[in-house]
Amino acid sequence: MVLKNPKLARVAKGARLELVPLQVLVPVVSTIIALGIGLLIITATGASVVEAIEAFWDGMAGSDFNIGASINRAISLALVGLGFIFASRANLTNVGGEGQIAMGGMLATAAALHGAGGLPLGLAFIVPLAVGTIAGAVWGGLAGFLKAARGTNEVISTLLLSFIALPLVYWSVESFHLLRKPISDVSSLPESAEIPDSTKLPLLFPDNGSPLHIGLLIAAIAVVVVWLVLKHSTLGLRLRAVGLNATASRRAGMRTSFYVILAMTVSGGLGGLGGAIMILGQQFYLTSDFSSGYGFDGLVVGLLSRGSAVGVVIGALLFGFLRSGSINMEISAHVPSAVVLICQGLIVIVIAGSAILTNRKVTR
Amino acid sequence: MALLELSGLTKRFGAFTALDDISLLIERGEVHCLLGENGAGKSTLCNLVFGVHRPDGGTMTLAGEPFDPRGPAEALQRGVVMVHQHFSLVPNMSVAENLMLGRASAVLKPQDIIVRMEQLAAEYGLEIAPEARIDELSVGERQRVEIIKCLLGDPQLLVLDEPTAVLQPDEIDALLAICRQVALRGKSVILVTHKLGEISRVADRTTVLRQGRIIETVGMEGADIRSLVRSMVGRDVQSAGSVLAAAVDIEGKTPAKPTNAAGPVSPGEAVLQISDLVYRDPHGVPRLDGLSLTVGTGEIVGIAGVEGNGQTELGLILAGLAAPSAGAIVVGGTSVAACTPQEITDAGVGIVPEDRHAVACIKELSVAENLFLGAIGKFSRFGLLDKSARRKAAQTMMRDFDVRASSPDVSMASLSGGNQQKAVLARELSLDPLVFLLAAQPTRGLDLGAIEAVYNRIRAARDDGLGVLLISSELEELMAVSDRIAVIYRGKLVGELAAGAFSREAIGAMMSGHAHV
Repeated sequence: MVLKNPKLARVAKGARLELVPLQVLVPVVSTIIALGIGLLIITATGASVVEAIEAFWDGMAGSDFNIGASINRAISLALVGLGFIFASRANLTNVGGEGQIAMGGMLATAAALHGAGGLPLGLAFIVPLAVGTIAGAVWGGLAGFLKAARGTNEVISTLLLSFIALPLVYWSVESFHLLRKPISDVSSLPESAEIPDSTKLPLLFPDNGSPLHIGLLIAAIAVVVVWLVLKHSTLGLRLRAVGLNATASRRAGMRTSFYVILAMTVSGGLGGLGGAIMILGQQFYLTSDFSSGYGFDGLVVGLLSRGSAVGVVIGALLFGFLRSGSINMEISAHVPSAVVLICQGLIVIVIAGSAILTNRKVTR
Repeated sequence: MALLELSGLTKRFGAFTALDDISLLIERGEVHCLLGENGAGKSTLCNLVFGVHRPDGGTMTLAGEPFDPRGPAEALQRGVVMVHQHFSLVPNMSVAENLMLGRASAVLKPQDIIVRMEQLAAEYGLEIAPEARIDELSVGERQRVEIIKCLLGDPQLLVLDEPTAVLQPDEIDALLAICRQVALRGKSVILVTHKLGEISRVADRTTVLRQGRIIETVGMEGADIRSLVRSMVGRDVQSAGSVLAAAVDIEGKTPAKPTNAAGPVSPGEAVLQISDLVYRDPHGVPRLDGLSLTVGTGEIVGIAGVEGNGQTELGLILAGLAAPSAGAIVVGGTSVAACTPQEITDAGVGIVPEDRHAVACIKELSVAENLFLGAIGKFSRFGLLDKSARRKAAQTMMRDFDVRASSPDVSMASLSGGNQQKAVLARELSLDPLVFLLAAQPTRGLDLGAIEAVYNRIRAARDDGLGVLLISSELEELMAVSDRIAVIYRGKLVGELAAGAFSREAIGAMMSGHAHV
C-alpha cells in the first residue's frame, strides 16, 4: 500500500531525481531474484530445470500464436490495472477487479448470444463490449455509491461484490433458462453456447495464425486516455484533490460524492471491458471460472505500477507472458503452475518491500 | 550551583538540526522563560530535558550529577516533571483517581492523595475538588490538575510547554502566580512561551532561541522587551507598528487604548446577518444556542471566547461544511444557511478556516493548484489543464500577496505556515464577488512577520469595504485588530464592546460567563 501512504508518497516525489534509476532497477532486480527462487523450487520438485525453462519460454513466446496469446492476456490485465490506478487517483482502492471482470464477461456473453450477433458494421462486437463495460461500471459504481452515501470502505465492498458476482456467473451457466447451452450431445458442461462469429473480436493478423485481436488497440486507447485524464485533465486534478483531502475539496466547491462514485464507476467499467474482451477475443463462451485470477493479477499490476499508466502496460505484459509460460510449463514439463504463482507473489513482495526501503533511506 | 546544566546539546531530525550546540544554566529557584518563534526549538529542548527525545550530542547535568534520561520515567525519578500542551488525563475519572494513576505502588491510598492535595492547595493556592470528574472541569482546571500531578512527587524542576495558550486571562494570571510560588520554594521552572507580556510578568531570566540556537539569555530586571523581540525575530519590528506590537503584547501590559485609530469607524449596511443560529452536534448537544450577529461593510468584528464555546462550529457553518439546526444566515441579501460551499462562495464569502491543513489547503498539491483549488476549470481547454497559464496567474498572485516559494509548482507542504496562510488569503481575497471574509484563528502558529502580513491584509480588506468576522482565541489580537468585539460563551453572544471601550478585564469576565457590561 505504498500508494496510500501520503508521507511516503511525498518523500518519493521529493526525491524523484535520486529514485529514477532505482525505480527501474528495483523491479528488474526483484523479478530476477524471484525467478531465481522459482528455479530453486523447480529443482526441489525434481523436474528438469532445463526442460522447465524451455517449456516456459516456449509458452511465453515460442511462436506467433503464443506471443499473441500472451499479449491477449496482458490486454485484460492492463484494463483492470488501469481501472485500479484510476480509482487510486482518488485514493480509492478497487480490489474488486475479479467481480467487475465477471459481470462484464457475463453480460457481454448475454448480449452476444441474444441479439447482438445480427448487427451490422461491427456493432455485433461493439455492443457486447459496451454492455460488458456498463456492467462492470455498475458493479464498481455500486461500491462508489456505498462509499459516498454510507462511508462503506471500498476495499470491503468491492471484495464482497466480487463474492456476489462470481456465483452469479456460476448460476448463469448452470441454468438453462439463463446462459447455459442446451444439451445437444454428450458434453453438457456448465457453460454457455459459443458466441456467434460476428461478435468475436476481429484479429489483427488473421493470416499468420496469431490470436492477437483488436483488443490491443482498445487497450492502447484506454492507456492514452487514462494517462491524459490522470496527468493532464481537470478531472484528474479534482480526483486527486478529493482523494487527498475531501474536506478541503468540498470547501473549494467540489462535489466530493460525485467524484468518488465517478472514480469507482470508471474503474469498474475498465474491469468490465477487460472481462468482455476475454470472452469476445479468446474464450468465446462463458464458463463459471472464466475470470480465474485475472482480477487479482490486474490488481497487482495496478499496485506495482505506482499510479503510472506506462507502469501498468509493463506490468500487464510481464504478468501476461508469465501466465502463458506457466501454463505451458505445467503441460509440457509437468511443473506445477503454482511455482509461477509463487514467483509472482515474490516479485510483488520484493518490489513493494524494496520500494519502502529505498524511500526510507531517502528520509533519514 | 545551578540545578540543571546543559552543555553543547544538539538534536537533529534527519537532515534538520532542531537544536544546535545549546549551553544553558537553570538556577535553583528561578523561573526561566524560553522564548522563540514556532520551530525555534523550544519544545525540542523541553523534550530532551524530559527524556522524550535523546540528544545527538552534548551533556546534561542535574544537581551536579550526569543526567541522561532514557525516557520520561527516568526523568520523573530524578525529579524533573513536565506539563505538555496536550493533557494526559482520563476524562471520565475523578481528579484523585487521575492523580493516583502511574504513581500508585501496589496499594492505592486515596486518603494520602487527598492529604497531599490539601498541602499543595495551602502552599500554592492550587485549589481543586478531589472528587470532581475531569470532563466536568474547565481547561484551566484540568491544567491545574496536571500541575498538581507534577508537584505531588516534590520535583526539582517543573517544565511547562506553552501552558498559557489554552487559558483565559484570569487563568493565565493564576498560572503565572503559581509559577512564582513554585520558584519561591527553591524549585526551578522552565516556561515555554511566545507571549512577551507573560515574560515580563513572571520570568527571572529569559533565553531567546532562534533556529535552534541560543541568541541570548538575559536577566529580566531592566530588560528591554523590544530588544528581546529583535533577538527572537532576527529583525527590528519597530516598523511593524502599534497593531502588531499590541497584538503580540510586546508592551507587556494591556494596551491602554485601542490602537487602530485609522480606518473607518462607522460601519455601513449589514453584509452578514446571523439570526438565532442553533447547531446541535450529532449527540444532540447544542454547540450554538441562538447566536445572533451582524457584520457591516467596512468593519472588523472580533469574536472572543475560550475555545470550545461554539467558535469552531460557527466557522464550519459559515464555510458550508456543517448545516445549522435552526436559524438564518444572510449575506448581502442571499440566504446561505445550509448552502453548499460553492453557493456560499458564489454569494461573495471568503473563508480563512481555523484548521489550515484540514480545510484550507491540500498540502500534497502544488502552490498553484491550491491557489486555484476552487477554480480548477478556469485554466483548461477541452478538459485538459493549461498549466502554463495557471502558473503565470499563480506567479502574479504570489507576488501580490508576498507568498514566498521557489516556484508555483512546489508542494504546499514545503511552505512555511506563514506562506501557506498568505496563499490561503490570496485565494480567498481574490474571489469575485467578495463582500464578506471570515478569518478564524488566522495567525495561529505563524511567526511575527506573517502575523503582521495577515493583519495588514485583513485591515486592507476592511478598508476596501468588506465585512470581516475575526474569530480568535488571542485576546490581544482581537483588541488590536477589531472595530468591535463580541464575546461568545456556550454558543451565545453574551456581550459586545465597541472600539474605544475594550478592556481586558471586561472581556475576560464575559468569556468566563460572568454578567456583561
